[in-house]
Amino acid sequence: MMSGAAAVRLRGQWRHRLAGDAGALALRAALILLIGFLLALASDAFLSTANVLNVLRQASLIFLLAAGLTLVILCGGFDLSVAANLTLSACLAAGVIKSGLPPWLGVATALACGTAAGAVNGLAVTLLRLPPFLATYAMLWILQGLAFHYMGGQEIFGFPPGFRALGTGFLFGVPVPVYLMAAVLVAATVFLRATNFGQEIYAIGANPEAARLSGIPVRRRQMLVYMLSGLMSGLAAVVFLARVNAADSGMGEPLLLPVIAAVLIGGTSLFGGVGSVMGTVLGAIILALVINGMNLLDIRAQWQPLVVGVVLLAAVMVDLVGRGRRERIG
Amino acid sequence: MTRDANDGGGSGQPASPVPLLALRNVSKTFPGVRALDDVSLELHAGEVHMLLGENGAGKSTLIKVLYGAYRADAGTILYEGKRVDIARPADARRLGIAVIFQEFSLVPFLDLAQNIFLGREPRRLLTRLIDHARMHREARAVLDELGLDYDTRALAVDLGIAQQQMVEIAKALSQRARILVMDEPTAALSERESNALFALIRQLRASGVAIVYISHRMQEVFELGDRVTVLRDGRRVATLPAGEATPDQLIGMMVGRAVGAVYKRRRYGTVGKIVLDVRGLTTATGVRDVDLNVREGEIVGLSGLIGAGRTEVARAIFGADAIVAGEVQISGAVVEGGPEQIVARGVALIPENRKLEGLALKRSVQDNLLVASLWKLFPRGWYRAGAAYRHARALIDRLRVTPPAPRRLARVLSGGNQQKVVIGKWLAAGCRLFLFDEPTRGIDVGAKSEIFALIEGLVEHGAAVLLISSELTEIVHVCDRAYVMRAGRIGGELDRAELSEENILRLAMHER
Amino acid sequence: MPVSASSRSVERLARPLPAILPIGLLLVAGAFFAVNGFASARNLANLGLQASILLMLAMPMTLIIMSEGLDLSAGAVLSLCSVVMAESLAGGHGIASALAASIAVGLAFGVANGAMVSLLALPPFVVTLGTLGIAEGASLVLTEGNAVSGLGSGIATLYALDVFGVPFPLLVALATWLATYLLLHYTRFGTYVFAIGGNRDALVLAGAPAWAYHIAIYAFGGLVSGVAALLLTGRMNAAHPTVAIGMEFDAIAAVVLGGTSFERGDGRLLGTVLGVATITVLRNALDLLGVESSLQVVSIGALILLVIVIDSLRKSRRVQTA
Repeated sequence: MMSGAAAVRLRGQWRHRLAGDAGALALRAALILLIGFLLALASDAFLSTANVLNVLRQASLIFLLAAGLTLVILCGGFDLSVAANLTLSACLAAGVIKSGLPPWLGVATALACGTAAGAVNGLAVTLLRLPPFLATYAMLWILQGLAFHYMGGQEIFGFPPGFRALGTGFLFGVPVPVYLMAAVLVAATVFLRATNFGQEIYAIGANPEAARLSGIPVRRRQMLVYMLSGLMSGLAAVVFLARVNAADSGMGEPLLLPVIAAVLIGGTSLFGGVGSVMGTVLGAIILALVINGMNLLDIRAQWQPLVVGVVLLAAVMVDLVGRGRRERIG
Repeated sequence: MTRDANDGGGSGQPASPVPLLALRNVSKTFPGVRALDDVSLELHAGEVHMLLGENGAGKSTLIKVLYGAYRADAGTILYEGKRVDIARPADARRLGIAVIFQEFSLVPFLDLAQNIFLGREPRRLLTRLIDHARMHREARAVLDELGLDYDTRALAVDLGIAQQQMVEIAKALSQRARILVMDEPTAALSERESNALFALIRQLRASGVAIVYISHRMQEVFELGDRVTVLRDGRRVATLPAGEATPDQLIGMMVGRAVGAVYKRRRYGTVGKIVLDVRGLTTATGVRDVDLNVREGEIVGLSGLIGAGRTEVARAIFGADAIVAGEVQISGAVVEGGPEQIVARGVALIPENRKLEGLALKRSVQDNLLVASLWKLFPRGWYRAGAAYRHARALIDRLRVTPPAPRRLARVLSGGNQQKVVIGKWLAAGCRLFLFDEPTRGIDVGAKSEIFALIEGLVEHGAAVLLISSELTEIVHVCDRAYVMRAGRIGGELDRAELSEENILRLAMHER
Repeated sequence: MPVSASSRSVERLARPLPAILPIGLLLVAGAFFAVNGFASARNLANLGLQASILLMLAMPMTLIIMSEGLDLSAGAVLSLCSVVMAESLAGGHGIASALAASIAVGLAFGVANGAMVSLLALPPFVVTLGTLGIAEGASLVLTEGNAVSGLGSGIATLYALDVFGVPFPLLVALATWLATYLLLHYTRFGTYVFAIGGNRDALVLAGAPAWAYHIAIYAFGGLVSGVAALLLTGRMNAAHPTVAIGMEFDAIAAVVLGGTSFERGDGRLLGTVLGVATITVLRNALDLLGVESSLQVVSIGALILLVIVIDSLRKSRRVQTA
């Protein structure tokens, strides 16, 4: 017998009138064009080649970090430690490169560190059964603390030009990070749409219990997803490090809010099972446009956390309205 | 007003002439289902009124109407002769109607006094702070009235289920409840605790409280009841004094033909080897030492009343719940582990709650259809959307799912079609043993026949089916044989010849 | 005739002491004897002051966590309130009106958090992460990233005040503890905090407006942040826009260490106080030992994970014996 206490009402479903996922993506693309249009009106500098490429580069950085988070959220989890993971991975990589070892070893270090941190998150969630928000919040502080300790308050800067090209370089006139973004986009989309793993991840995010009762190895997949997210953090760390040519223990922190906002704006639902990496690309571009716009309009940098915070909350609420959800009485 | 043609006849009316609460021609309809159909009922102060009926007869809907969770679509409710409207729980509370639920509404880390007075905490006049002394005093008084010697400072979480139930009753009493509704209160109690509860109930009756008591235990009906009302298919069949009724008579009233087409079994399979062999199955979820088996080509029913443990047996077989003792054999090999391992052996579970456990509503029909057979269809792990679409399309056609659109979200489908998708999920996986848990619940008549036709088709091709159903007609007309569960154990087994609704109910209800 | 429904009467069981008690005592003892400089009167006095602000943040955090929620924005809101208060003082207003402004800001954020969690049923982590950003942004915008000074001597004097030998900050912190205790155990609001965390449906069924009380829990947090800004601003006689960001971590850690559960509406204020003390002592001892802040945080983070695991192990064992 249903618990007599709270009558659960389903609020009216506002379904996407446009055909499902494709429609949602088109909506975001339209939003990008709109923002671009407004910015072009507001500032002469916006449409210059240099600026547009800059926006794309910025979007790539956000996206590389947000892609892994997208996977985790699609699978029904969450990862608050992605930015701190980036910080630690980048700092370790910086240390390795600066000490004279070949840059590819630095890259490997970052990837290894990122994946390891992701694995710890995964263990906390699957083995210890900790709620993802909580476990990754604790990891956030642990990783941040380790980074602080490792850096000892110093900065590491000045990396070999070959390495720097990963972040600042151009290839056929297009910034290198954009190629990486494209590569990750393709890889992630293939993973999600063209492999059984991807299908299982969506299934787990949409309804973990039904997935379990369909024979899907839920915990193994969750572990995989957290490790992939960690790997992505490591990759993002490398690109970020190459771009800013410096490592310090605070480098990742300002990225957390924009990254989460990018994922949510891109249409991935906080509750899991719905969304796409393509959407996250569009979300990252939107965030990059917002930040770029603030710079062009000479809005001081201090406004950025505030604006991003508002954008984040707005994205969460739109996610809510668009999906419909259960409402409690009282 | 006191007597009308609907009153099942017979004398033996309790003292007061005006009923405390009267329902007249109350109906409640949900999409596709008439849960309550023109039901009239009278409750008198100082009586224990037993409410009997099969699962789905309308008892819980009636209760929900009584305490305001549902609002009746038609009919009137009279309180002491005056017309009232019960639209919200607050209305019911004001009338002194209290319900003791099966899931308990106590707050674990508040003490008993706080729980009893939740929402009505007495406060000091000036400071508006909670008057603990008074709260505990009054709680003590209520508990004493019921003869319970619990410490009012004990936390609810420290109480056992039986004790929590007593506190629930105390809570209801402290609100000056004049009508107490109890839904299977002894389901979780030992015999000793049940007796204590009965003593309490008799006390309450003596003090003028009207008690509506839902039970599946015949013994209780006669031990405690003053009058009995039988519901069937949302209608009231009869109301009679307990003293004038016999168990067979009551069972006969509970059973009976539903108006409309009765499903007729058409196809049979050739009964072969044992596919499922369960021995001594015991779980922490209430299953006790269950033995059963299912062979290829047969549909074996698992019947019994709600709470008898049927779903728990299916879940245990499927690996969804842990097994404490006993073993499960599939095709002669002992199986262990979780759903992942069991599914690999070709077992399928169509769960009772298809929306929560059987489907991912926010995913498409195609996705849901293929989710259990991804590695069978794409062994190398490369999912191909085109092939997936074709597979899904084939399944949709075979199952006749409407609308036949693989990319539609599962949530837009009707209940019947959703159930087909759940079944379809396992067809693609090539399973040999199917565990169906209430496959036709909440589904309209047309879809029901289709589902049964599907099930028949399965056994015709050599699969083994275990069918859990609360609808006795289904068990009788669809199954080759059936087990009947009672309080976590197998109450009995009925073969083809013995299979009848009366026999099932007899085995399902406690007869001591 | 009275009948007992069970073979033994039901008594109030002794709640198991939180694991923090022995751990905390051990730490304090260790620090006392093994760490140079810890046991000096001056250091201990300093400890008390340091703990005051944390204690204030941790009190409402206990209630929020009991209600199955979390407030990641507490530190940022505290900073913002401090900035608002400082701007008000620097603008020539008195302490009273500065305090009022600070409280107003805190309340606004608290109500916003509460509304989004209670009415929209959004996950508290994400909501308060968003308001963290907004509060931090607001602080930065108001101050251009610089500290606000020129507050006059009023507030610093207040901070340094000794009331019957008790330092003013400690007094305020203790008063907050007392107020929270009274709220939790002597008001309906407090009772409903238990209910919202332990069985929200029961509260709704009882007819209480659970949604409103749910908002009030977060509003209380905002209110206390507003008052705690008094101590924060007074301590430095200035306001730094982001100084208190990260304090919410210590507050959450203190609550969790103190034994308050995230899931069942079980809370222990005393446990939180012990948690605050433990964390303060731990940080102080590690400071004196030359361990840097980052590793301190790592160890606290690990400690939290450990306590959560112990808590859930105990929980499952308890359920089995019940």
